[in-house]
Amino acid sequence: MILYKGNVYDNIKQIELIASLKDDCYQTLKENEGIKAVDVIEACDKLAKKVRNKEFDHIIKPLLDQLDISYQMFENYIYMFEKDALMNKCEIELGKDFNEQVELNKTTTKTIEPLGILFHIAAGNVDALPAYSVIEGLLAGNINILKLPSGDSGLSIILLHELINLEPKLKDYIYVFDVPSTELDTLQTFANIADGVVVWGGDVAVKAAKQMASNTTKVIAWGHKLSFGYATLNASDKDLEGLAHHVCQTNQLLCSSAQGIFVDTNDLEELEKFGKRFFEIFVKINKENHPLPLGVRGKNTLELYANHLEKQPKTFYAKDGVSVIVLPDSDLVLSKLFRNVWIKPLPKENIIDVIKPHKNHLQTVGLMCGKEESEELIKILKKTGVTRITKGIDMARYYVGESHDGTYALREYTRVVENDRFQ
Amino acid sequence: MKSKYARKLFKHKNPYDLEKTDLLFVKAMRENAIYQYEHCSDYRRILDEKGFDPKSIETMQDLIRLPFIPTVYFKRHPLFSMSKKRMLIKATSSGTSGKKSMIGFNFKSLTRGLSMVLRIGRYHKLWSFRPVNYIIFGFEPNRKNQVAIAKSAYGFTFFAPAKNRNYALRWDKDGYKLDLESIKQAFIKASKKKTPIRTIGFPAYTYMLLKEMQEEGIKLQMPKGSKITVGGGWKQFYTEKVDKQEFYQVIEDVLGINDKDCIEFFGAVEHPILYTDCRYHHFHVPVHARVIIRDVDTLEPVPNGKVGLINLLTPMVDAVPLLSVMTDDLGILHDSDCPCGEKSPYLEIIGRVGISDVVTCAQGASELLEKLKVGDSNDSL
Repeated sequence: MILYKGNVYDNIKQIELIASLKDDCYQTLKENEGIKAVDVIEACDKLAKKVRNKEFDHIIKPLLDQLDISYQMFENYIYMFEKDALMNKCEIELGKDFNEQVELNKTTTKTIEPLGILFHIAAGNVDALPAYSVIEGLLAGNINILKLPSGDSGLSIILLHELINLEPKLKDYIYVFDVPSTELDTLQTFANIADGVVVWGGDVAVKAAKQMASNTTKVIAWGHKLSFGYATLNASDKDLEGLAHHVCQTNQLLCSSAQGIFVDTNDLEELEKFGKRFFEIFVKINKENHPLPLGVRGKNTLELYANHLEKQPKTFYAKDGVSVIVLPDSDLVLSKLFRNVWIKPLPKENIIDVIKPHKNHLQTVGLMCGKEESEELIKILKKTGVTRITKGIDMARYYVGESHDGTYALREYTRVVENDRFQ
Repeated sequence: MKSKYARKLFKHKNPYDLEKTDLLFVKAMRENAIYQYEHCSDYRRILDEKGFDPKSIETMQDLIRLPFIPTVYFKRHPLFSMSKKRMLIKATSSGTSGKKSMIGFNFKSLTRGLSMVLRIGRYHKLWSFRPVNYIIFGFEPNRKNQVAIAKSAYGFTFFAPAKNRNYALRWDKDGYKLDLESIKQAFIKASKKKTPIRTIGFPAYTYMLLKEMQEEGIKLQMPKGSKITVGGGWKQFYTEKVDKQEFYQVIEDVLGINDKDCIEFFGAVEHPILYTDCRYHHFHVPVHARVIIRDVDTLEPVPNGKVGLINLLTPMVDAVPLLSVMTDDLGILHDSDCPCGEKSPYLEIIGRVGISDVVTCAQGASELLEKLKVGDSNDSL
């Protein structure tokens, strides 16, 4: 399905509509006043109220079931789209005077302007994420062209269509197409029109987007990440329990999920002791959490058993479908997912050497240490390039006002423009 | 290799007489285990590390203790107990991840296999002297194609003499291509003749084509004596259950064939036993194999009726230590109170382990999950 100027069309109209896309976008820039963040915020607020009123439950409930998220947890996040939270987001990300013309000095004033036209690519199958990306683009004042991911459920078009119904000005600022990733020419057309390409996805998707964007087009990449825990031997049981809860709640699938724990030690015996200690806590905490589906546990068990026959890794503990593997190397790697945690040595003097090369793959660190040790470790970790340092239990928590991968979306989607006074 | 017990086992007249053959089965497994232990160094290492002596096999309980090997291990490590030149037929599992299990059959294994097929075929009334037209939802044979599934599909066309063989997957210079249109035409032609047809192929392809024909409003009546046979498994994750009743309904609707003439086969490259479903579509365990269902976490055996990982045992193969393998499927072994009258317990396959359609933003995770999804085909016959 296609969403164009507020109307929904069948994919068969794609060629015809794309042919007029650039002209329509430029026409909007020439004729319209532009959209203000407050207009977008009002529309989102109304939409959020409808969601709270359970008017979209028939679509949302199946989606939550599929992602294994409780309705209650979902309700906790609706506020993100209500007036207060969105105003807060704009002020934090763009500055309190984001709406105004600001005097820099006697001659010059500045305003914050949208980049202009954004092309959003949301790889993967996170429903509603494409709509979210467009909403951020709108808050920044942009015209938005969205390519839906393959296998999209239709939720994004429904939400954006509803938004236009609530605020008809938005119809000139939202274009949604359902183009397969293999139609490179079409995607190239979108990239050529856009001032900025916004891409959500893994390395492959990000690379493809960068190749599509010309030298003059900005690429804003929200890529996949590898997060981890860092513990000293003074980490408390409570700290480790927190991390274990987090692992069970996210199944290690998120960019903020701990794939494993690095321990501040060079001593392999200490490392194994730590591994065993964490394992015992992990098994206990696993029982307190939503159990893994039968098939995932079966898969874990078979894989670990095959590894065991292959005589690697040397030390692993497995019970009730969760496992801990103690390894002697210091590589930051993806775990086997679904509650399989690695434990590796990483003395604090080696943190920068080992972690820094991972650059843009870095995001969250769950820090578990004694109070007196935290200041120094935070300083070191900041230098590696990570963007969030939290307690183990909070690695995946989110609140409005937090940066996204070390930056602010709205800042990336806008530019600062200075002009001299002529009057 | 001394294999008198295995020979006796595979020659046993009633292919579902489990109780009477228990002791024979244990003896045949002992023979096989000793052979594998003596001729395959990796298998010997595995048994030694677990402190298991194959000569100690005396009872079914010992077979439960016998170390088993997951199919994923075979895919990563070729294990052989004899030289390749003694293997008259070789086959591999399918799957696109690049890693395949390899298996070979020497003369003795082939004769056992043939005995098994003869007796099971006779029991299920598959053998016929009357020629039939075959419609095969599988691969046209090609010298380059070593995949077991292709060979088995071709093999099935020997149950009854073939007047004609029509393949859905035809080989051309670019590889295999699916040609559903010509299959549709083959059915239409067949309905106008007296010669019975038999189909063999993947259930998913068979279902897909027949559903298409149903949507086009095609209603045919196949000649008397026609049979629909499917094999290769539904290849779906255990969370995506297929409604077999719906499948039989479509067959009846489009081809006029009753479900009593629909037969499903199951087996695997790593466990090449011909499981065949009875009139009531239950896979009773044949004498040539035994099934143990194991707990998904602890791998200990679970009582009948409970879900777990499937451990399959057979003394059929000499060339590769396949005597006790773990597949990637979840299943249940049911005590039999089946209306078909057979007392042998029957195996219900719930589906593949793992999980489909996972949402993730951890770096590398979606590629890892894709690989696990596509590459792991527990290849059935």
